[in-house]
Amino acid sequence: MSSVLDYSGGTTLLHRCNPISKMALAVAFCVATFFADSYLALVGLIALVVLLGVYAGVARRVLAMLGAFLVLACFMTLVQTLIVRSGDHVVLWVTSDGLALGTHVALRLVAFALPLMTMLAITRFSDLANAACEVLRLPYRYAFTLTTALRFVPIFTDQMERIMEAQTARGVEFDTRNPIRKLMLMLPLIAPLLISSVGKADDTALAAEERGFYLRTRDSSLKRYPFRPVDVPVLCLAVALVVVGVLF
Amino acid sequence: MPSTDHNAPGIDSGAPMVSLERVSFTYEGEKRPAVRDLSLSIPRGDLLGIIGPSGSGKTTLASILSGAVPHHFAGEFRGVCRVDGLDTCQVPLTDVSRRVGSVLQDIDAQMVAANVEDELLFGVENFGVAHDEIPDRVREALATCGILDLAHRDIATLSGGQKQKVAIAAILALRAPVMVLDEPTAALDPVSSRAVFDTLRELVTRQDMTVIVIEQKIALLSEYCDHLAVMDDGDVALHGTPREVLAHGDELRRIGVDSPRVTRVSNQFVARGLIGAPEVCLTVGEAEDLVSRVVGRDAADRPRPVAPLRAAQGPGGPGAASEAVLSLEHVSFTYPGNTASLVDVSLDVRPGELVCVIGQNGAGKTTATKLMNGLLKPSSGRVCITGLDTALTRTSEIARHVSTLFQDPDRQICKGSVVEEVAFSLELLGVPRDEALRRAADTVDHFSLPASAAPFSLGRGQRQIVALASVVVTNPQVLILDEPTSGLDYRECMVVMDAVSAARQQGCAVVMVCHDMEVVSDFATRLVVMADGRVIADGDVADVFADERVMRAASVRPPEIARLARRLSERVSPAYGRAREVADVVLVTEGLVA
Repeated sequence: MSSVLDYSGGTTLLHRCNPISKMALAVAFCVATFFADSYLALVGLIALVVLLGVYAGVARRVLAMLGAFLVLACFMTLVQTLIVRSGDHVVLWVTSDGLALGTHVALRLVAFALPLMTMLAITRFSDLANAACEVLRLPYRYAFTLTTALRFVPIFTDQMERIMEAQTARGVEFDTRNPIRKLMLMLPLIAPLLISSVGKADDTALAAEERGFYLRTRDSSLKRYPFRPVDVPVLCLAVALVVVGVLF
Repeated sequence: MPSTDHNAPGIDSGAPMVSLERVSFTYEGEKRPAVRDLSLSIPRGDLLGIIGPSGSGKTTLASILSGAVPHHFAGEFRGVCRVDGLDTCQVPLTDVSRRVGSVLQDIDAQMVAANVEDELLFGVENFGVAHDEIPDRVREALATCGILDLAHRDIATLSGGQKQKVAIAAILALRAPVMVLDEPTAALDPVSSRAVFDTLRELVTRQDMTVIVIEQKIALLSEYCDHLAVMDDGDVALHGTPREVLAHGDELRRIGVDSPRVTRVSNQFVARGLIGAPEVCLTVGEAEDLVSRVVGRDAADRPRPVAPLRAAQGPGGPGAASEAVLSLEHVSFTYPGNTASLVDVSLDVRPGELVCVIGQNGAGKTTATKLMNGLLKPSSGRVCITGLDTALTRTSEIARHVSTLFQDPDRQICKGSVVEEVAFSLELLGVPRDEALRRAADTVDHFSLPASAAPFSLGRGQRQIVALASVVVTNPQVLILDEPTSGLDYRECMVVMDAVSAARQQGCAVVMVCHDMEVVSDFATRLVVMADGRVIADGDVADVFADERVMRAASVRPPEIARLARRLSERVSPAYGRAREVADVVLVTEGLVA
């Protein structure tokens, strides 16, 4: 079972640097995107993320995500061109302002989401949680909640798939071509999924408590997450990105 | 909270590791206590197996021992539970956990981390183990469970048996003197189940731990445990060594607990007066010795008439010679991005047959069942159900002819009441609502289920029977069962299998995937063995179980009686060769002794 959130191992500089540096880099991309105005800067930022992905050995995943986001981006462009009526008429209902705003919003969307997803692909959640506690002083219970929630995503998707499989075998028309009908058929299944999820979450809470969850302090983690020389280029890149974003 | 200062006398001398004194617990909102007036004393270094029917309070007992009751589950607690001298009610759960490690039933929920190493680190880090000591502890715990090579794997990529071992290792690393496990092998195949019990035995023998394991597999318990406790209606009904407990065959049957087949042989020998003094066999070897002693050493040389066993059970049932309702012709299947998981499988199933498919986890059994009900379409070859090619027919259409009972009933259940759940199956086939409800009510009545209860409020075994009821209510032509009896107690197992047999006798073709070889041997009319995605044997049950080459290739241990029959036919008399049931062994023995 693989999902977009699975960890992809490696020994590149990006893999070895502090999880917080990776997140800082992702945030820097977001800030740069926020400030950047020109097409060149936005496209450049996206291209840089893809290059980083290629370097970290997750090219296929990054390109797949890029593809998915581009579909969403096209849709958003279309919506914007319908809403924005100012500017010169270009073609059909599209105006120059609408096109400009639409493409900007679309590119921003991609440039916002892609870096975070890429960094998460090369960071273990447990490392991120521990580092967030140590470096950012985040209380462990929040970090644990976050990592557990992320860990449960594939478990629940898997469960939903199996429930749908069982219902299909029973004769429920999940193999219908009508997406609305399929959605209507799925709704009643949310109850069983919810019931088993609540039970699972309660069991996890018990299992965690029985292994000393409430005793955990900032110093508990065996693994330490100090900033090391490998973090310097990553953090420099992050600062540079923000500067470039503001300037262009 | 009542508390007593004196220690109850244990069954062994010396202070017991765990002691319960007149413990009762009633969950909040419930009227009946789940455990009542229970006293139990467990010495240090004991491997104690706890067995009992569903709802007898096994899981509650495990929760009491681990401190989850009363700290996590609210309710009314009476009596005293002491672990290593500590009253579990008087200290926080975390302090109890330093003494008792607990492995829950749902292994996915037990995990707190995404990879194996982090899973082990979590507990030792939290309990403040010195950091320089941690790597050794983790390595040692992994080594004890035989999973050092898994240290850096993601948990999502592990098999059920591997996950179970990781859960045990994570508790082991805490070095609590007591470990409590709730049905650790419920989802495992026989080979992995034995591997888990090998590990538990090792902990007790080599590390002097006290291990308490709740389990439904009586043969496994009696082989590995020092003591057995049998729960009945919230209390311990029997407690002693496996031999002592299993001598009470009649009482066990009354409570609803199975006995190992070899024990039934020795109990039958006692009942029929074949042996004078009562004797209890726990293993095939012991039963072999007993039988050869009763028959006499020279029996093999003496030609004497022997009561003939009934002929090999053929494909039986009303439609033995009729057309196949389900046929797989050279079917192969490959999951996207994976290697082939089914290779050139050909199989015909006729009305009235009960074909059991056995093999290790990953042998392709479940894939085969999904091809049969149309959830998967073959990559090559053809699957036909009542003449319909599944590749050309929608799965929901195929469902009119084929019903499937899945291992986990919760995937199937989606309605608010039992009767509606059962009626829903009929409604999906286009039966008018009134008639569907009427027929469903009959079926619900037949299984003695509470018609208006919410399915999710019932116990695990009852939910499985609800799922079964909604499967058989449609009178399908083909019935597919994926591990229908796993996690069920003996009585529930019999209810399920009786319903399956009834459907078969009405001409339904049944295909069952099953890990319980005793169930297979009792009910199958034909046996199919799979290994590495191929069918490596297909034929008469006794013949296939007797084929050592096939059994080895599939890593399957034949059922106890088949193993006993094989050994006896070599050592005592060839007349035992075709014995499949306890009664067969008794019959042949009586014939030889007479």
